[in-house]
Amino acid sequence: MKPVNNGSKVLVTFWGTRGSISTPGRITEKYGGNTSCVTIRHRDVFLILDAGTGIRNLGIELAEEFSEQRLPRALHLFLSHTHWDHIQGLPFFEPAYNKTTKMTIYGSPRKGRFLGSILKGQMDSEYFPVGMSAFSAGITIKEISAEAIELGALTIDWQEQFHHPGGSVRYRIRVDGKRIVYATDVELDRIFRGNTRSKEDKAMGRAYLDFVEQADLLIGDGQYTGAEYGTKQGWGHSSVDVLLEACYRGRVKQLAVFHHDPQHSDKFLDNLSAKNRSRYHSDYEGMNIFWAREGLTLAI
Amino acid sequence: MNVRRMKNGNKTLHFKRRSEQSSADDIHRPMPTVEISLEESGAEIPVLHRSYLEVFGSKKKNRVIELGETEILIGRNPDCGLQLLRNTVSRKHARVFFRNEEYHIEDLGSMNGTFVNGVRIERSVLRNKDQIRICGVKILFNEEHSLIET
Repeated sequence: MKPVNNGSKVLVTFWGTRGSISTPGRITEKYGGNTSCVTIRHRDVFLILDAGTGIRNLGIELAEEFSEQRLPRALHLFLSHTHWDHIQGLPFFEPAYNKTTKMTIYGSPRKGRFLGSILKGQMDSEYFPVGMSAFSAGITIKEISAEAIELGALTIDWQEQFHHPGGSVRYRIRVDGKRIVYATDVELDRIFRGNTRSKEDKAMGRAYLDFVEQADLLIGDGQYTGAEYGTKQGWGHSSVDVLLEACYRGRVKQLAVFHHDPQHSDKFLDNLSAKNRSRYHSDYEGMNIFWAREGLTLAI
Repeated sequence: MNVRRMKNGNKTLHFKRRSEQSSADDIHRPMPTVEISLEESGAEIPVLHRSYLEVFGSKKKNRVIELGETEILIGRNPDCGLQLLRNTVSRKHARVFFRNEEYHIEDLGSMNGTFVNGVRIERSVLRNKDQIRICGVKILFNEEHSLIET
């Protein structure tokens, strides 16, 4: 799948949609087995959201594009957090080994250790044959500040998400009046449901709804079914039911359910999609729901 | 219709062949066989791939467009491989193309969009039984794989 570069459109491409661990095989080929990686492209600005195993295919395609002298060569990688399924593809990202690439990596400032040392750690010789010093690209690692980041016509702001072990960050990208939100790896059930919700949880719920309000596209964590969530509490992921409900309350226009559970086959996700897609259609006609799949590019 | 050769699939495939010791006199006897694992032999397994678009028309008349490695244009223009005669369809609306062993569909900046499984797409890889919709016309992408009998 080639990265599409199409004038002034905002293009969103899914390179990896799976959660937790990559799941290759016949029964996952439709929605894909690679872990989290999404790109957003607008004119010459190229954002990468997370560096799960899906980033490897992106790298292959970009390398081809670079060799044809087609820009961009400046890449901006925003990490939601540093769990394996969000960083494990980075050592296999071909443009990182190309000295003409410039890549800025952004991540949460809340990490106990500096982001750079975490990324370097996964390429320690105990885990990987090549160290991070082998990256010949110009790489800058930035812990994001409180201010919004401006890249070309894009404005990127962010919020910490606390209900995920170790924390995670959600990003909102605004351009030409459009809003795209990337909010994966968060346990929405804890902030929207249950009798044990604290004041902080309720405040987090309000913050979430404000952040996603009227998003043209929300890429959201819907790893579990409502039934599965019962045994997965505290694991840091949301049930589809609560995700849909929150998006409906936030008047989201289009929802891409993301971070699919490794146990969920294509058939299972097809059934889940068929059961849920029309649930909110009659109430709020603008809300389109789909299950994100690898190799899909949308124009927003 | 494409015929490609796939070297060892995911499955262990066993082909049975006539034993070399068999003679013409043995012809009416149960055939002795020797099991050969192609994984062991490293031989290539011939596989038949057939990919096609099934266009659901009115009056239950469906059209079938076989896909090869040549791009197919979808649109109103007479030179499109798949011509859709509706005013709402753009002249060159979308294209289906083969790349890296997979079929993809790409919208060509159409006015009314190209949808895959209900999602308006710019581009998408195609998987078996994906439903494409262009201005109310339903098109089913089908992929069939089978071993060629030798």
